[in-house]
Amino acid sequence: MIVMKDITKIYEMGSAQVFALNGVNLEIDDGDFLAVMGPSGSGKSTLLYTIGALLTPTKGNVTIDGKSIYRMKPRQRAEFRRKNVGFIFQTFELLPYLTALENVVLPLYLSGVTISKHEDIAEEALRKVGLADRALHKPTELSGGEQQRVSIARGIVNNPHILLADEPTGNLDQKTGNEIIQLLHRLSDKDGLTVIMVTHDPEKARLSDKVLQMIDGRIVENEQRIYRKRR
Amino acid sequence: MRAITLVLKNFSRRKSRLILSSIGLILAIVVIVSTFTIANSMQIQIGDEVEKYGPNIIVTPKSESISVPYGSVVIGNLTIYESSLEKIYTIPNRGNLRTVSPKIYGQVDYGNSSLLVVGMVSEQEAKLKKWWNVEGSLPQNDTNQILLGSVVESFLRSPIGSTITINNMTLTVAGILSETGSVDDYSLFLPLHTAQMLLNQPNSVSVIDVGAICKDCPVEVISQQIMDALPYVKATPVKQAVETRMKAIEQTVNFSLLLGSIILAVGCAGIMNTMLASVHERMKEIGIFMSLGADDFHLYKIFILESLILGLIGGLIGSFVGLASSTIMGPLLMKTTISLLEIPLYIIPLCIVLSVIVCVVASLYPAWRASKIDPVQALRTV
Repeated sequence: MIVMKDITKIYEMGSAQVFALNGVNLEIDDGDFLAVMGPSGSGKSTLLYTIGALLTPTKGNVTIDGKSIYRMKPRQRAEFRRKNVGFIFQTFELLPYLTALENVVLPLYLSGVTISKHEDIAEEALRKVGLADRALHKPTELSGGEQQRVSIARGIVNNPHILLADEPTGNLDQKTGNEIIQLLHRLSDKDGLTVIMVTHDPEKARLSDKVLQMIDGRIVENEQRIYRKRR
Repeated sequence: MRAITLVLKNFSRRKSRLILSSIGLILAIVVIVSTFTIANSMQIQIGDEVEKYGPNIIVTPKSESISVPYGSVVIGNLTIYESSLEKIYTIPNRGNLRTVSPKIYGQVDYGNSSLLVVGMVSEQEAKLKKWWNVEGSLPQNDTNQILLGSVVESFLRSPIGSTITINNMTLTVAGILSETGSVDDYSLFLPLHTAQMLLNQPNSVSVIDVGAICKDCPVEVISQQIMDALPYVKATPVKQAVETRMKAIEQTVNFSLLLGSIILAVGCAGIMNTMLASVHERMKEIGIFMSLGADDFHLYKIFILESLILGLIGGLIGSFVGLASSTIMGPLLMKTTISLLEIPLYIIPLCIVLSVIVCVVASLYPAWRASKIDPVQALRTV
């Protein structure tokens, strides 16, 4: 379970202070599929990175499964991230000089998984996203949808229980975007992943368990969908 | 996947930048290697030139009486046991001994005259007296061959190949020494053991000429060490020649050290600059690594490994190009010929290690900067 208590993130812009997050309180249950919506600059991505142990808030406390992640030392926090969090980005953020398989292996290397197991585990992750046959291709040889699938495989390869997606369909056409959303739902349903997805598109948020609306660093609406079949 | 795979794959993407950043380093190593190589050759050359002045330590028996004068040195009528010669090689600075030339002197009657006989070990004596110009050959050890000084030759009128008999011993003329203007012109040279038999002084040596080269210790120390090892001898340092040699060597070494340090510092700054630019360029990549859970240790590992490989390649190429260029630059700039055989080979691993150390040290600050990058900011860079 993710608990955010009174989270504030202030950016100093010269003499002015910008509140990227302003007193956010939020609880997310394990296995939830949460969509975060709101206009640009409303703090959606900041919220995502704060949950992902990547952005230290100015004030407040984030606990994940009872562990206060910003009270950890930087190395412990990095380890926590390796084990528990997967990231997916709008522009995929694959390393261009590595093949799809090698990109997926990267988190395994960082986690110190035995080298002999790297390929098998990464291939399994690529199979889960339906891309096993493109394993040896470089990102430039893959379509946008395929690149995002590689990115998802990289996000789940270490078996995290939280997957954070920052506008994962933002660079994809409608059809491919829907396929990616379906894939994320499938992973959430099948593996019990907690998925938090930032999106602009209400259509993409439609199937989520919860939808957060954010404006100016605050949650203005926390809508619980009742029609979605709970696990 | 290993860290090295990651680094090499990344290198393959940035070939041109890598070549550009290596050029500075390679150049630095080239200059260091050529400077050392040329300095080394100059040292040898200086050593060879100074050696023409003769030995720099003269070992004689401790003696009060005077009987045989030989050049500027006075030989007593006591002798050193040839067997104790070995002890010279037990001194702490034995590695600095270049030449050890034992000799026996004596006078023999020949008809109505008397001849000055010098027993020597030919190859050792030839090393000390590089100005010798011998027609024919030097007497071979343990034979009855002789070398005649120019005055002796004109007195005996014995051409090469002819024989003379002294004290019932038949000696063959193997070579004739051109005029030297020294006492050598009046001497008859024999192999040491043959001379000992002729003079009836087996196992005896009158004087030992020692040629020693030592960058870090004064020749007096070596002389003292010889006297400690052989208590019945007197070792006299010939100071002037030694001091000239030491000073010249010291100056060339200091010069090359200074030049090397400056180039190294410039090279180090260049590498640090390239690395910092690389950190800036790869901001997004660093952000991706951090989002995947990389900590400062992972980033240090990647950056240091990169610099290590860079240093290794730069050092290797630089060393070989440096050796090659010194053979061209040496004769042009320093008027010294470089023989690749004379170059101490340790310079190659030394330069590679130096290059790696410089690269690693230069990468520490950029690696630290990389580890301090804000991952969210980094991910937002285009």
